[in-house]
Order: sequence, then C-alpha cells, then structure tokens
Amino acid sequence: MVILFSQAGSSTRRKMLSSVQNPRFLLIQCRRSKPFHNRYHQYPKSIHATSQVQSVSTSLPTSQIQKIQKSILSREKTARQFAEEFLNRLRLTEPHVKSFLHVSQTVLNEADEIDRKIDRNEDVGPLAGVLVAVKDNICTADMPSTAGSKILENYRPPFDATAVRKLKEGGAIIVGKTNLDEFGMGSTTEGSAYQVTANPWNLECVPGGSSGGSAAAVSARQCVVSLGSDTGGSVRQPASFCGVVGLKPTYGRVSRYGLVAYASSLDVIGCFGSSVADAGILLQAICGHDKLDATSSKREVNDFTSQFVAKDIFESQPLKGLRVGVISETLGDGVDQEVVSSIRGAISHLEELGCIVTEVSLPSFSLGLPAYYVLASSESSSNLSRYDGVRYGNQIVSDELSSLYGGSRANGFGPEVKRRILMGTYALSAGYYDAYYKRAQQVRTVVQKSFKAALDEHDILISPAAPSAAYKIGEKKNDPLAMYAGDIMTVNVNLAGLPALVLPCGFVKNGTASLPVGFQMIGAAFDEEKLLRVGHIFEQTLEGCSFIPPLIADEFKC
Amino acid sequence: MGSRALLLLAPAFLADRILVNHFSISGFRQAFRPKEEMLRVGVRNYSVHSSLERPNVSRLAETARISLTPQEAEEFAPKIQQVVDWFGQLQDVDLQSIEPAIRADTEVGSFREDSPETFDKREAMIASVPSYEEPYIKVPKVLNKD
Repeated sequence: MVILFSQAGSSTRRKMLSSVQNPRFLLIQCRRSKPFHNRYHQYPKSIHATSQVQSVSTSLPTSQIQKIQKSILSREKTARQFAEEFLNRLRLTEPHVKSFLHVSQTVLNEADEIDRKIDRNEDVGPLAGVLVAVKDNICTADMPSTAGSKILENYRPPFDATAVRKLKEGGAIIVGKTNLDEFGMGSTTEGSAYQVTANPWNLECVPGGSSGGSAAAVSARQCVVSLGSDTGGSVRQPASFCGVVGLKPTYGRVSRYGLVAYASSLDVIGCFGSSVADAGILLQAICGHDKLDATSSKREVNDFTSQFVAKDIFESQPLKGLRVGVISETLGDGVDQEVVSSIRGAISHLEELGCIVTEVSLPSFSLGLPAYYVLASSESSSNLSRYDGVRYGNQIVSDELSSLYGGSRANGFGPEVKRRILMGTYALSAGYYDAYYKRAQQVRTVVQKSFKAALDEHDILISPAAPSAAYKIGEKKNDPLAMYAGDIMTVNVNLAGLPALVLPCGFVKNGTASLPVGFQMIGAAFDEEKLLRVGHIFEQTLEGCSFIPPLIADEFKC
Repeated sequence: MGSRALLLLAPAFLADRILVNHFSISGFRQAFRPKEEMLRVGVRNYSVHSSLERPNVSRLAETARISLTPQEAEEFAPKIQQVVDWFGQLQDVDLQSIEPAIRADTEVGSFREDSPETFDKREAMIASVPSYEEPYIKVPKVLNKD
C-alpha cells in the first residue's frame, strides 16, 4: 500500500517510513480487528516489519543531553559550537514559531565559560552546555518574568526559582523565557498578552498550552530541553500537539518556589525533551526537597537516569509482565477517531513488548473536569489578589487606593484571567462555598481513590493526552467551554497529584501534512522511575523517524 | 470539532438525552432546564439551581477589585453564566460522607524551622516597587466608603 506520509525534502529513505507513523495504515488494521471494548486484538508482527521499511536507518531519538556531554567532555566539540548551532536555528525559526518572550544575551559567554572550565579540567555539571528554555511563569532573576501578562511587563524577580537555581548549578545555559497563556490559564497560548506561538508542525495551528512556547521550542529544536508548568495538563497537552516528550512529576516532587502560583494545590513544574531520556535527566536535575516549599516532598530521589540504556541491551520482551490499564472513558465519544487509532497502535506496541493490556473504568472521570475548573478558578482568584500594582507590576495613575487596585488589575489582566478570577470569587462567596468549592474537593477525593484502586491492579494507566491533535489558531478562542473540554484527559491526574508522561506515538492527517499525537502514561505517586523506564523502552523500539517537524526537517537526516 | 468535544462535558447520567449528532451549547442548556424546573420546589439540597443567585458580574468585580467597563461586564456575563451552569453538574452527584481533599494526598506538609531569616536581595525587591520613597511604599489616599 502507498505510504502517504510526506515531509519537506524528498529523500527516499524518508518516504519509506515505518507504518507506525501512518495513521491510515493503523486505521485499516483497526477496522479489521475486533471491536475495541472487548479485548485488545493482537496485531500481527507485520505492522512493524513491512518489507518496505527494512532499510530505514532509524535515527531514533537519542539523548541530546548525553550526546552533548560526551562531545564537550571529550573535547570533540565545544559548548560554544553547540550553542551556536542552536542559536542559529532559533534565529531562523523564531519569526515563524514565536516561542520566546525573551532570549538571553549571554548564551555564548556562558558556553565559553564552560569550555574554559573543561580546559582547566574542572567539574562542569551534568547539564553543562545544554540549552534550556524556561516558561515565563518561572522566576529568573536576570531575565524578565511576565507570566505572559501585561501586569508583570518587564518585571524582574529578585530571586531565581529553585528549579532554575538547580539548573544553573548543574551547568545548564538558560537560553530564554518562553511564551504561555497568561498566568497558565489557557490551552493554546492565545491567552498570552504578548504573542501567539505557532505549532512547528503547522504554523496555522496552536502549539497547545499553557506551556505552548516551551513545547514549541523543543519541537523546533531551538533548545535541547525546556521547563513548563502543569496545573491541568499544561505540559502534557502541548507535548502531544508538538510531538515532544512531556513529563509531569508527582505533586511535591519539584519545588514550586519561584513558580508563579495559579492553583497552589494543583501546580507543578514539568519537563519537555525530544526524548524520554532528556526529559528524565532534566527532572533529575530539578527535583528534590526544598525548605522554601512546604508542599515539597522529603522523599528520597532515586537515580532515574541509569536506566536510559541503548536499545541493543533490551531483552526480546523488555516489558514482560507489566500490567497496563487503558482508561475506557478516554477512548469513547468525543475523541477523534484518528487519535483513538494512534492510541491503539501504541497499545499493540506495548503488547509486543510484553505488556498485559486490559481495560479499566474510572466512572468519576468526566466529573473531574468541572471539579478542576471550580478548584482552579477559586484558588487562582486568591493567588492573583497579590497583583495590586503596589509592590511590583504595572501601576496605573489614580488618586485613590481602591481604584488604583481596580484600575491596575483591569488594565493588566487579560479577559480570560478576569473571567476566571470572577468565577472563582463567585464559587468562594459566602453561601456558595458548599455548593461548589467543597463539592469539588469531594470530587477530588473520589478521583484520588479511583486512581489508587486502578493503580493497585495495574502498573501504569494509559489514555490519549488530548481528544484531538492541534487545531487551528482562532478556532476555540471565543468558546471557553469548548477549550476547557480539551483538558478532559489531563485534569484528573492533577487532582490526584500523580506523575504522568506523554510521548508521541502517531500522527493524524492534516491536509497533505501530518500532526503528531501523543499518548499519556500515568503512574503511582512518586513512581517517575517506572514511567521513564517504560517510556524509554517504548520510544527506543518504536520504528521510524524521530518526530521532527517539517519546518526543520532538512537539517536532520532521517 | 469543538461541539463534538462538548460531549465530554456532559455528565454520564445525561447520556440518553444527548443528541448524537450536534451537541451545541444551547442544546446542553436545554437538556439541563427540565431538571431545573422539576427541582424548583423543595428541600435545600435540591433547590440549589434556583436558590443560588446568578453571578452578579459587577458585584463580583468589586469584590475582586477589578474595574470592569460596563461593556466588559455585559460581555462577560453570559460566558460566566455558561460556565457556572456547567459547574452545576457537581450538585447532581451524591457526595454524602465523602471527605473533601484540600490537595493531592501525596505527602503531608514538611515545615521548616519557625525562625526568621533575612531575605538577602532587598535592593532588587525594592527596585520593583513602582512608587517608593525610603522607607515607604507609596500609595494614593485611602477613601473609606461604607
């Protein structure tokens, strides 16, 4: 059959991509198989071994971080050379993608400093030479931190977030601050007060949000890895839309000190990378107890990174016996058929690796979405009351205090932020607390319990990361409920505080091109190690080209 | 595409009322209305839909200290009303005897020692203040309106 995948450039090798990337192929396989809800059809081995793809030299995603470290420590290449490569690519792609709100002016100096240290045989840290982008709601003392809002235009925090401090201690080079929906409220970056970021796979589509800039920056290879934040899916959904790996740690794994608070009981800082190994190495660098965050866990952090081994060391069924539960509510009505097909493809791949895949039902699943929005709006109405224009941020002129507050906030906040503050104020008002906030808290308990029960029977749970692939810019901008609906796959995980990993597993057709689709793996609390191990093995054995967007495909041979 | 995704918003018990093909937002509200009317009279638990006042956007804006223009208030009201109606699903679930969870139960709080520490970047902090006159942060006069 004809493989329809098309990308910029015309090398025949690229055309002979694995069928895994072609959703049409998967779809045809699915139609032949039994209905999904009964059991998982064991797909014939041929799905990965069609004769056409034999000679693909699979340039599977390798750990860029490990590659850079190896090169600079052996002096095969300098940190400066790597930095220049990324900066050149950044400069070329930025006018189209617009991931960054601020780009550092000192990248090359910092790279030179690392090279000098290496020449002097000094220690340089596990992230030395690695360009990291940071979402603009994470405080960096030497660069503006606006949280995507006009109210913090040009604001320079007097401190670095703990996660940023740890990156710097590890030798990382902070290349810049990325675009986001204002204060993390949104799923597309259209809520940013400054610019809309484009999806590197199709510049007319959204990159997802709220960490759209961080996802797009890694997708377009403008940086190696990036930090985002995830309150209701803001790392996982853009990872899916942009074809990169997104990791949401357990609540309490990474310090929130320096993360601009949106909903304090749900916020976490998360990681983006072009491979599972990179996302894992980044997490390793930033996690751990912090006395400045009373919700950060004192639990010891294992070394996740030693398991990112080369695939030739894998046994034939490296995930034998792993119990995987597919959340049945996530593959029904309201989810794009092509997304469902991609997930089914992922499932069959997991089965080939030895997993035991069954269905699990979480009946409270759909209730999580309104509960999440009640909690998030309510907590944000409280968290954003600090923006009064008095101690920092934009201040309007007024001769009276309460209109100073009212005016500075009206002037500085965008419409979505205002609406959420108002909804939160309503839900918390006297007389309404029991009806909304308290009930949402109770739903949270129900969600936590049902995940716990499911994770007692399974090692990991899986679902799509979003009900669709990336949609067009402007498509949902004026319909808040439609936009909220897209978070259905992700919010429950935040309510339960569990870790989750999203990695690309397939594509949907978008005109003559394709858009990536990611699937989500959810683990038990603090079980990032297992998620990363499974993710790494899945990724390394998924045949085909790396998920590199057409925008930059010419530079990367497949 | 957006309207299909809205299917996900409808709670399970409304499943049979959902129009399979086109589930617009007004369709969603219509599905809700009959239930509201049924529950107009009655005990506090059930009359939540009608006894809770609709959000008064101007009053909320005052509480939240955001000066909305009348035009903004008018624009926001239906959107906020829509979302608050959607929140109403939470009332229709039986949550008797379920403890509210204030956060993920991943770990209990770890507090640091209750001893003061001096923040060492005072100058940077003060540099952010829009209107500062050593040692005061300046604000305009405060009018008490009662």
